[in-house]
Amino acid sequence: MKWAKSWYLSDVILIALIGIFFGAIFMGTNYVYDVLTAALAPVGLAGLANELLLGLWCMPGMLAGYLLRLKGSATLGELLAATVEMFFGGQWGISTLISGVLQGFGSELGYIATRYKHYDWLGLTASAITTTLVTFAWDLAKNGYFKLQFWLLVLYFIVRFISMFFFGGVLTKLITDLLDRSHVLKSTHNN
Amino acid sequence: MNPSIKLLLLLVIALEISFTMIISLNVALVILAIIYLGLHGTKLKTLAWLLVVPLLPAIGLWSTQYINGSGDKTLMAWVLFTRIYAFVFTGATFTLTTNILQLADALEQNWHLPSKFAYGVLAAYNLVPKIQHEVKVIRAAGLMRGQQLSFWSPQLYFKAILVSINWSQNLAQAMASHGFVEDAPRTHYRHSALHARDWIILGLGIIGMQIGVFVIPWH
Amino acid sequence: MATITLHNLTFSYPEAVAPILDQVNLTFASGQFTLLTGPSGTGKSTLLKLMTGLLSLPANQGSISFNQTDLTAIVPTDRAAQVALMFQNPNQQFAMDTVENELIFALENRQLPPQQIPQRLTAALDFVGISHLRHRHLNHLSGGEKQKVALAVIVAMDSDVILLDEPFASVDPTARASLLRRLVRLRDEAGKTIILADHDLTDYEPLIDNVVRITAEHTLAIVPQVQQPALFQAFNQRVSTHTTWPTPTSGTPLFQLKQVTLQQAQHQLLEPTDLTIYQHQTTLITGPNGSGKSTLFEALVRLQTYSGQLTYLGKDIQKLKRKAYARQVALLFQDAETQFLNITVAEELAQCQKYAYGDYFTPAHIDAALQQLNLAGHQDQVIYTLSEGQKKKLQILLMLIMQSPVLLLDEPLKGLDLASINALVQLLKTTLAATQQTLIIISHQLTGLTPLIDCHLRFDQHQLQYQEAF
Repeated sequence: MKWAKSWYLSDVILIALIGIFFGAIFMGTNYVYDVLTAALAPVGLAGLANELLLGLWCMPGMLAGYLLRLKGSATLGELLAATVEMFFGGQWGISTLISGVLQGFGSELGYIATRYKHYDWLGLTASAITTTLVTFAWDLAKNGYFKLQFWLLVLYFIVRFISMFFFGGVLTKLITDLLDRSHVLKSTHNN
Repeated sequence: MNPSIKLLLLLVIALEISFTMIISLNVALVILAIIYLGLHGTKLKTLAWLLVVPLLPAIGLWSTQYINGSGDKTLMAWVLFTRIYAFVFTGATFTLTTNILQLADALEQNWHLPSKFAYGVLAAYNLVPKIQHEVKVIRAAGLMRGQQLSFWSPQLYFKAILVSINWSQNLAQAMASHGFVEDAPRTHYRHSALHARDWIILGLGIIGMQIGVFVIPWH
Repeated sequence: MATITLHNLTFSYPEAVAPILDQVNLTFASGQFTLLTGPSGTGKSTLLKLMTGLLSLPANQGSISFNQTDLTAIVPTDRAAQVALMFQNPNQQFAMDTVENELIFALENRQLPPQQIPQRLTAALDFVGISHLRHRHLNHLSGGEKQKVALAVIVAMDSDVILLDEPFASVDPTARASLLRRLVRLRDEAGKTIILADHDLTDYEPLIDNVVRITAEHTLAIVPQVQQPALFQAFNQRVSTHTTWPTPTSGTPLFQLKQVTLQQAQHQLLEPTDLTIYQHQTTLITGPNGSGKSTLFEALVRLQTYSGQLTYLGKDIQKLKRKAYARQVALLFQDAETQFLNITVAEELAQCQKYAYGDYFTPAHIDAALQQLNLAGHQDQVIYTLSEGQKKKLQILLMLIMQSPVLLLDEPLKGLDLASINALVQLLKTTLAATQQTLIIISHQLTGLTPLIDCHLRFDQHQLQYQEAF
């Protein structure tokens, strides 16, 4: 477990806390999901609710990757958030864990592709793209997307990417810009 | 049963039903899960709640396939509908009978997960009520300055991360003061056992699942 | 038994200009109870964290040794046997869910064989007198109970040196007295070395062996035995005041409490109470630590549940829109950072001007206030790099600029020096005269504040009532 050596206890606690904080904030968006799903179900487009909000749920991973800049931090960040969510009785039961790992690993791939060197627009965009690809592949099976009509598949894919790019890319960038300017990060990784 | 083995079995089941399209298998899993939960004294009210929680997304998936699917639309609609329930009920056999501490013990003792991961996550998890309160405080502080912090406001997340950084350092220091040393050996008061029995149940579970998928003629 | 020697200890934080501790030399004799005093923000916490090894001392910046062994030479796994620290904030002090599990966690870390754990655990809980809390959830305990658990952990680990960093900030007087009795026994019966940092000197005089003071030169000085009585006396006088305030009987009711009770976890803080707080009066609330003053404020801004009915200008606050109500009643949080939303001082000021309720604070007024508070020239500075005192002053200024009709201030003067307090009270006075806001203030610190106060509420023993004398 060589990768584990570079993690401090405070890093583990930090990404777990961020995962829980974000989860607590997202709980407040459940109503958006519920209303959209109820409204779109009669026309068979309920998946749009999921597609629109998915970027939000993938944020902890992308942020953890950005904040800690450690190998595996995006994956672990999202997995921890998913573990906590599962124990709090999320809607998706045990598949939350699988989704968590895949979402986190999807985000990680973006950082891997940019060699853990681009903590900027390039890294975040790459991460948004890889997260979209990995999670979409998973939903082809899990949510039966492979049986959908092609136009809908394309629509879902585009909406998902936009959500990923907006929440995981733009919003994450705005958040990390605030963090960079606040000078609080420097002091975190030297204890 | 050892929590880590139980989790492993459930993950195998969840993965497998994600790639199969057998309605009766999903239903059978839900029934098995209900029996298991019943034996562990789960209240009827909780079971009823588990039926309600996934209803909306289940209907959403159902109608999407029914209206915009291809091939055997009805079959796929019901596959997805029952699949969600299978996820939720099998998941509940874990979360309603096992707590996060037992899982952490098993991962630390049976799988040699570094203790900083097990206890770091536990420490954060035990702050959940404080975190929920803090989110309210952050939002209220924004309103008192005339600013509504919605789920798309960077400031909301920024504030949450600042608090997380602060708390993570406090907790790490407190744990160090309570004698915790990263990567150092510890003794274990609660013994997490991993018996041959656990492996047998895992094996039987996986075999049973394959029989359900490939052998039993469900249709 | 352990003697601690600090030798030429110097420490600076990365972004700070001057060292917070400069060439400190001192020996803490073994088996003695030392009180470490000095205003907030002068380095007490830093010193204690250095002594526990939680902050590491850069090379060539002096040394800390326990019985002549350098702290860095003690293997990390043996450190907790040597020294343990009890923190000021009881909330982020535990890793586990229950009292019992936290003690087990600590003893496992000490690598105690499992069969010895139950006995050590029971003995420690008995010693502190909290056997009844054994299976309780830590989240359900009061501040005082949590600190008792923290002490039980230290007793169970059997650490030679016990350091305590302002441990009573949220502890009620009964629990405080009980904890102090235990500490004295630990010194007398087990020979523990105890160093306790506090800025409040109440009740320590008969208990302690030494007083050590952090000086203005960032070093430590032993207060000679002969000077100690004067130090304690001066502190006690500072607290007592001869002012009396009338009980208000007429005026426009601002808040009305109807059979209101407050709970924290499973503890009742306030018995069913009927009370009126009036508009355009500055009301001071005093009471011991842990009595529930901050909880009352949180209830008033709907961050805390309560039973009974709370009305604002005759309307049930639960029936008001959150957003509209937050513009009426604002809270100055105890922790200044909670209030901030942006990065630089200038951004914060601009944000408040944009959303302010009234226009009393013109750019000229703000500049004058910045001068008055000694914050001028800091506009482009990142807030998080300001000193604690500067943060506090900026926080108060921001909330004054907002001009919400009601402002609740939770310990607004905590940790400020006298010059800052006088400047702030002056600013509050002139602002109030112009804006007619209503202030309700929780404060332990009364020096300089009294001219502002119209009436006084006392929160003590689960009662909240007007009191004429302090």
